[in-house]
Amino acid sequence: MGKLLTSLSLALLLTGCAGGESAVPGSTTTADQLMAKAPVAGELPAGSTMDKIRKRGELLVGGSLDAPLLSQQNPATGEVTGFDAELSRLLAKYIIGEPRTKLVTATSETREPLLANGTVDVIFQTYTITPKRAERVAFAGPYYESGQSIAVRKGTSGVTKPADLDGKTVIAGANTPAVTAIQQVAPKAKILELGSDPECLTALKQGRADAYVQDQSILIADASLDRDIQLVGDPFTTDPYGIGLKHGDAEFKTFVNDWLREIQRSGLWHEVWRGSIGTVVKGEAPVPPAIGSAQGS
Amino acid sequence: MSLLVEGLLTTLALTGLSFVSACLLGIVVVVLRISTVPVLRGIGTAYVETFQNVPLLVWLVLFVFGLPEIGISFPLFWTAAVVISLYEAAYVAEALRSGVNAVAHGQGEAARALGLTFAQSLRHVVVPQAARKVVQPLGNIFIALTMATSLAGAVGVVELTRAANRINLAEAQPLLIFTGAGLCYLVLAAGIGAVVFRLERRFA
Repeated sequence: MGKLLTSLSLALLLTGCAGGESAVPGSTTTADQLMAKAPVAGELPAGSTMDKIRKRGELLVGGSLDAPLLSQQNPATGEVTGFDAELSRLLAKYIIGEPRTKLVTATSETREPLLANGTVDVIFQTYTITPKRAERVAFAGPYYESGQSIAVRKGTSGVTKPADLDGKTVIAGANTPAVTAIQQVAPKAKILELGSDPECLTALKQGRADAYVQDQSILIADASLDRDIQLVGDPFTTDPYGIGLKHGDAEFKTFVNDWLREIQRSGLWHEVWRGSIGTVVKGEAPVPPAIGSAQGS
Repeated sequence: MSLLVEGLLTTLALTGLSFVSACLLGIVVVVLRISTVPVLRGIGTAYVETFQNVPLLVWLVLFVFGLPEIGISFPLFWTAAVVISLYEAAYVAEALRSGVNAVAHGQGEAARALGLTFAQSLRHVVVPQAARKVVQPLGNIFIALTMATSLAGAVGVVELTRAANRINLAEAQPLLIFTGAGLCYLVLAAGIGAVVFRLERRFA
């Protein structure tokens, strides 16, 4: 409790000092500069999905508000930042000419229905492309490839590789790709699912489980803030993330794929990566995955 | 499929265990609330107000993540069972109190006039009449409690709803899977309703 209060007051102090947007001119300008450089599509076929979006003047995006580095809302400004959030704004600019998006909170149990009934146009939410899902939705991309890693409390012995998780209790974010990844490498592991990354971390530190499996970039961010945990080895899966689209809309899928190719070629993709995931993952931006390379895309 | 059965069994265990302990604790609380000693009455009232006025999910998060901070840690299932019992006991106590209140004042006065003690008047006069009045509200609480167990899924207990979530993650068929889970809850609630109906016809 004491610790919680300290960090709370520290957070208050920090926001107090920072005093809103003006204190961090660097980051906002970069995002704006990025947006200014972003391409806009030309004439759109009448009646197509992208034409409807352009006429509406707003791209409806299904995503998260609580995914660090990917799509996280700043409670002070209300702004959503991260790799997924930035890309969705680039796509909105490409279609509409302005980066106007409306984020609808999606969850793994609502993603398919949200697309099918037209509540959202696209899903940007570390949506792993799988052949089974591809029967319900169409996937543009993959636009990013990541992998699941293992984190443990510092000083934990007996967990050096994924197979060591077998028979142990392992924490995973509820409804994340980690759940299925653990089932594959360690069928006898007992999986403890919790709603958010902070809950998972707390449970790990409180000893409710032996390890925590999560997307590597999120774990790197966690470990950089918290000295009590450490990562074990390299990622043990490859998760191709796709942009979820309505099933059967081949025209829109081709359109989004063309846009992805364009921002990859121009280097915009890399700049978005450097501004989000690249702030915690060391080294150069990775080579983006080839469009259509994942089974189901 | 086995995951769904496992989830259903966990839901059943959580529901049964919590309802029995909530009833036992609820009886204690209601006796405190209607006792003639002001301090005990105050304790009973404080209990009910505390647990009724904070959402169950908040209690679950506080117990699951808060207690280990002060060195108390139980397995998740038992933590959830304890929290749901404590929470629902407040509602059970209020249902029982409404039953007691439904017994006409004159009954208690008559019992006292006959020279019965507090315990005797409760046992022979008030409780038999009050019991008939509380069958229906207790049945409602039982059903509400069954639905409330799904919140345990939010703190990592793999009950029916969490199991449905996990299956959906692989199958991507939310409408089908959650309709199935919903039907399971429906059958549970209908079963409880049927039992309550028979008890009511017998006693009330």
